[in-house]
Amino acid sequence: MNEIITIASGTWKNVLRMKVVYFLILCALVLVASAINYDVLSMGLQKELMIDVSLVLNSIAAMLVVISLTFEIPKELREGVASTLLSKPLGRFQYLIGKMFGCIVTGAVICALIAVGSFFIFNMSFGERIGVTMFQTHLLVILALIPMSALGVLFAVLLPEVIAPIITVVVVWFAFSTKFLAGIPVLYGGILPDLDLFNFRANAVYQVQIPWMYVLLVTLWGICYAAFALSLASIVFERKDIK
Amino acid sequence: MEENVIVIEGLSKNYKRWFSSKGTKALDNLTISVPRGSVFGFLGPNGAGKTTTIKILMDLIKPTTGSAFVLGKPSYDVDVKKRIGFLPDSPAFSRQLTAREFLNICAKLLRIPSEQRNETVEEALHTVKMAEHAREKLGSFSRGMLQRIGVAQAILNKPELLILDEPLLGLDPYGRQEFKQIIIDQQKKGTSVFFSSHILSDVEEICDRIAILKKGHLLCTGELDKLLAASGINVVITPGEDKVFKELMTDAEGSVKNPDGGWTLSFPHNNPELLKKIEDMKKESPDALAISASREKLEDFFFRTVENANV
Repeated sequence: MNEIITIASGTWKNVLRMKVVYFLILCALVLVASAINYDVLSMGLQKELMIDVSLVLNSIAAMLVVISLTFEIPKELREGVASTLLSKPLGRFQYLIGKMFGCIVTGAVICALIAVGSFFIFNMSFGERIGVTMFQTHLLVILALIPMSALGVLFAVLLPEVIAPIITVVVVWFAFSTKFLAGIPVLYGGILPDLDLFNFRANAVYQVQIPWMYVLLVTLWGICYAAFALSLASIVFERKDIK
Repeated sequence: MEENVIVIEGLSKNYKRWFSSKGTKALDNLTISVPRGSVFGFLGPNGAGKTTTIKILMDLIKPTTGSAFVLGKPSYDVDVKKRIGFLPDSPAFSRQLTAREFLNICAKLLRIPSEQRNETVEEALHTVKMAEHAREKLGSFSRGMLQRIGVAQAILNKPELLILDEPLLGLDPYGRQEFKQIIIDQQKKGTSVFFSSHILSDVEEICDRIAILKKGHLLCTGELDKLLAASGINVVITPGEDKVFKELMTDAEGSVKNPDGGWTLSFPHNNPELLKKIEDMKKESPDALAISASREKLEDFFFRTVENANV
């Protein structure tokens, strides 16, 4: 477990020290705050618009963190960073879990910063308390990082550096659109993750609370899917030549 | 029986290409062993298979056939890596981490107890003369500085075996000198060293055993002294002994004037008549000349071995 945390800490330190991350968070918060000016365009629904925008931007931030992971693993393999780490008493599976865990923590920190910033802007703009549903929906975006980052690890191991992020974006987009994919039972039935399970923007906008049991079950589903994707990744990675 | 820290038996590696039945054969039935306590130079031209062998030893590359044992364990044993230090050919590390943070990560992975970790990291930084850069980010380091940090992470765990891939690459002359001293110091502490290099003069200086590879085939392996010995004899003529000099000069393969005004003449060892003549002259006038066995330079031996190899 120590090895996994060590790899994860290296990963999150590496990403969270990039100044561009904080610039993007600032941009996201400026966009959230700008929703207040759209009272005419949104026909007086600027409050709902702000909630929706904050959730969409948080999902995009989560996606960007996962994409950065799909760049980082092949880059570490190519540049020899992975060789140095794997020359220590560290299993290849532990390396992959560490990378995924690091990605989840990085994403969670960034999404939490955007969520807290959005809550603050919402409170300042409308003088209303933050409802449980808003908190739950942002939490679900963070929880969606579990299956998403496992998918990122799988594609990073399977595919070349240039293709892995593209395929990850396409698959995550499909996975958020599982209603569209309902006609393709094989894909819908588990190969692709059903990330729509984590999408409750409408509930947040209309303040319809989500049962905590649902949040727990969907988290368990995310962990199971991540275990499945990581196992696949590990089978491939164990046989891979690290040049 | 001499214990070996590395045993490689019948190792072959074939890199397969996608959509092609043919592959590239990087190693072909390689068998070598490295005795404990030795400094072993692993030599060969580019594409000889040195890095592939080293990566197989570190379980970064899987062999097609054959086996590799390190410190008595199969190379895929994860726990044996606690006792090995490894420096890859072009060390690269996470750019956003400082040197100290990176070495701390390595120390944690090497399962160095937390109470000893800081001290061990500081000691390694001092050994490679990077203590003053400990707080700087690795992304700002030059190649030579990265190489030093690479060496530091390799010696963190006071390894029984150091495996180094081109460790002298990217170092300035001072760095090379310091690095050679580190290797010598490590050997004195009982560490066995296995390293690949293209800088033959350095290999000759610090190695006691070598192996030469070409296109994945082993050309020769053994003790350096034995491989380079008995290529001929050297005769040092005392200054003023012009008669002796003139008599021997005609048969000499080479001659060098010494700073004291005398001469050093070299002769092949496969001419018994000539050798007898020199020995007789030595008996006649013992003070006029001194005889010693000449040793071939590693560079000459390397080129001769590689160029004559039919692979």
